[in-house]
Amino acid sequence: MIQFERFTLENGLRVLFHKDLTTPMVVVNTLYDVGARDESEEQTGFAHLFEHLMFGGSVNIPDFDAPLQKAGGESNAFTSNDITNYYNVLPKENIETALWLESDRMLSLAFTDKNLEVQRQVVIEEFKQRYLNQPYGDVWLELRPLCYQVHPYKWATIGKNIKHIEDAKMIDVRTFFAKHYHPGNAILCIAGNFELNEIKSLVDKYYKDIPQISKHTRNLSVEPEQTEYREKNLNRYVPADAFYFSFKMPERKSERYYTVDVLSDALGREKSSKLFIQLKKEKKLVSEISAYITGSADAGLLMVSGKLNSGVTFEEFETAFWDCISEFNQEQLSEVDMTKLLAKIRTSKEFQEQGLLNRAMNLSFFELLGDAEGINKELEEYQKISASNIQLEAKKILRKENCSLLRVLAKKTNENG
Amino acid sequence: MKMDRTIAPELKKIDSIDFVEPKVYPVNNKVNLYWMKEVPNETVRVELYFDGGTINGEKGISSFVNRLLLSGNSVTNSIKINHQIDLLGGFFESGITTEGSAMSVYALRENMPELLTFLKKYISEMDCQEKEVTEMVQDKKQKFQVNLQKTRFLAQREFQKRIFASDTKYSKIVTPDYYENVNRKKLQNFFAENYLNGLTKIAVVGNFEEKQIEDIIQLFQPWACTKDLQYISDIQNEAGNFHIEKGGAMQSALRVGRILFNKKHEDYHDFMILNTILGDYFGSRLMTNIREEKGYTYGIGSMVAEYNNFGYFMIGTEVGKEVKDNTLVEIKKEFEILQKELVQEEELGLVQNYLLGQLLKSADGAYSMMDLYLSAQVHDKDLNFYNEAIKHIQEITPKRIQELAQKYLNWEDMTIVSAG
Repeated sequence: MIQFERFTLENGLRVLFHKDLTTPMVVVNTLYDVGARDESEEQTGFAHLFEHLMFGGSVNIPDFDAPLQKAGGESNAFTSNDITNYYNVLPKENIETALWLESDRMLSLAFTDKNLEVQRQVVIEEFKQRYLNQPYGDVWLELRPLCYQVHPYKWATIGKNIKHIEDAKMIDVRTFFAKHYHPGNAILCIAGNFELNEIKSLVDKYYKDIPQISKHTRNLSVEPEQTEYREKNLNRYVPADAFYFSFKMPERKSERYYTVDVLSDALGREKSSKLFIQLKKEKKLVSEISAYITGSADAGLLMVSGKLNSGVTFEEFETAFWDCISEFNQEQLSEVDMTKLLAKIRTSKEFQEQGLLNRAMNLSFFELLGDAEGINKELEEYQKISASNIQLEAKKILRKENCSLLRVLAKKTNENG
Repeated sequence: MKMDRTIAPELKKIDSIDFVEPKVYPVNNKVNLYWMKEVPNETVRVELYFDGGTINGEKGISSFVNRLLLSGNSVTNSIKINHQIDLLGGFFESGITTEGSAMSVYALRENMPELLTFLKKYISEMDCQEKEVTEMVQDKKQKFQVNLQKTRFLAQREFQKRIFASDTKYSKIVTPDYYENVNRKKLQNFFAENYLNGLTKIAVVGNFEEKQIEDIIQLFQPWACTKDLQYISDIQNEAGNFHIEKGGAMQSALRVGRILFNKKHEDYHDFMILNTILGDYFGSRLMTNIREEKGYTYGIGSMVAEYNNFGYFMIGTEVGKEVKDNTLVEIKKEFEILQKELVQEEELGLVQNYLLGQLLKSADGAYSMMDLYLSAQVHDKDLNFYNEAIKHIQEITPKRIQELAQKYLNWEDMTIVSAG
């Protein structure tokens, strides 16, 4: 059970407080309800570029990191297709420094040209480091538009291409801030050894005077139901053939979500899962294979990816893969299977919640989904799932017409390796 | 009254940290079990350390054995073993470094005793089945080939060769022939010698009863190492520039470093402060210059890697191919500035506070505390080492930092590797 208190300021800021008596640290986590899905198709990568700009000084404070480091703390952030999340971890005595910095950058940024220019460059290097200069690094840049035709999940958080980042203008930065960075679009979560009234008065002190702006209504294009099998081949200088099967699955808030999550575990989470045993251990077709879900807020993907053993053809492998899937769809999971899947989920959850930062981030995310209390109901949701539910979902989801397959074909190279 | 947002809140300094000692139990006269009990939830982690590092055995055998631990035997195969681990909701990891190897088991309290008993039995009976060996070697070969496509891997590999140049056991790097003609007998011998008689340490974090700790000792006592392990202390890097060409690369991976010391050395505490200023936090000089001013990279950092009797210092980054040479010029410049100019009070004060805050965080909770303890214990230090660290952080002077930069950060001593 993760205990928490919740209150809302007049300007719309939602605040969560999680008390942990054991830690000398405090986590100040701020989740903004904006991600790559809120970008326009002509300006992709912007939410993420913006995250970098948030560290370049705010309206009253020239530098974000230095004062926090001086307080013994550290800060970082991440952007996904759904959210942008900023966190600070510092000694609890210095909590005010984090609130001072975070509230000032919620109020307004410094918007310096130099910051924009440099962070554009840094993000371009990040683009290269993560997506272009890695074997299989560009897979998600290619896979997203194959799976999504209209929904903004069709581009990756880093952006569709480098050009969008190169072209970012200061006016766009200002507009983006005004639209998405305000109290009503944020969830603040504080975790540490404090009393609720201390937290209330501190949050009041730093956040109360930030003006309220009305929250814009998200109106995203809805991805139509997929009705045809899609496939695409990439030819790359990589040593092994790779495959990425993507099946459409329900959105995060759907009651079907957890069932599909367990379904993906049964298929390919561990070394005792169906795909691993059949295609790797028994038929020796693949060197690695795993199944997982993207976990996105809007309709997401159940993925099965891996690499072929050398000498195995895609044809041979795909026949075996679909045979395995159809067998899976026909057979209900046994009681032992169900016990096993739940046991893993329980252990993972307990370890995840071991960390203070994880607790603060997860509370914020569940609050965004509608209720932070969801974090405490999750296990119950999983426990409700029956083998027949899973089979029902498997039949709905694991179909060719609901699947997009990306193949990476290894091109031969003359160089060493 | 309206608050003046330009004024920073007052800061409180950290002057002492509560370091919590684990309980220590002898497994035999060379091997100990360390236990941290104070965990406020149901999680338990058990780590077993072995004398199974890459300096032992020939041609990759150490790393092959590390991957085979759950591969079973002719009666109980790896599928059955993994099934049982999963049924108990457990997670098993194994890993290897130059001088040692380890297994980590994660599970809930109620399942851990049964899981350990099970693992002990089937790992003991592992006999390197031909089928499993072939599969593992094939998988590792493919991973190796994928890694050869990464400039970061190529740079690190060449760096290892050059930084440990004077010792062939440490400097050996994986080559494609490692994956040919792997001998099952040699694997079995290595396993018997370095695992079944090679356990060097056990670390348990979790809210167990005393009796359960005794059971763990009983269980693993047969594996406990009885040898005195010796590690080299004399090692020299090969200074100079080394380049690995990689066609089609968009970025160059860079490594700059030299052989140095570990926690046993008198300059260690102060050097770590210098290292932080130079490249070990977000506001470091290298990050400020190479990332935040020039935009050459997504990240750059410096570190000290520690071995039993020595260490090495290293800077690592990936930069745009066209700015590779400029980056090296700038790194060199940062060394020279630290040698010529005294660090200003403002910057030093910030780093002092930052380091104390990070140390406080490293001591937060039983898991962090165990890791912190073990990283001192491996160098025969106790927790007082960290009280000394606090004292050094509080008392360091700009002059002392300059001296250390002059002593240890000379460009001509550096091994400089680029790949791309």
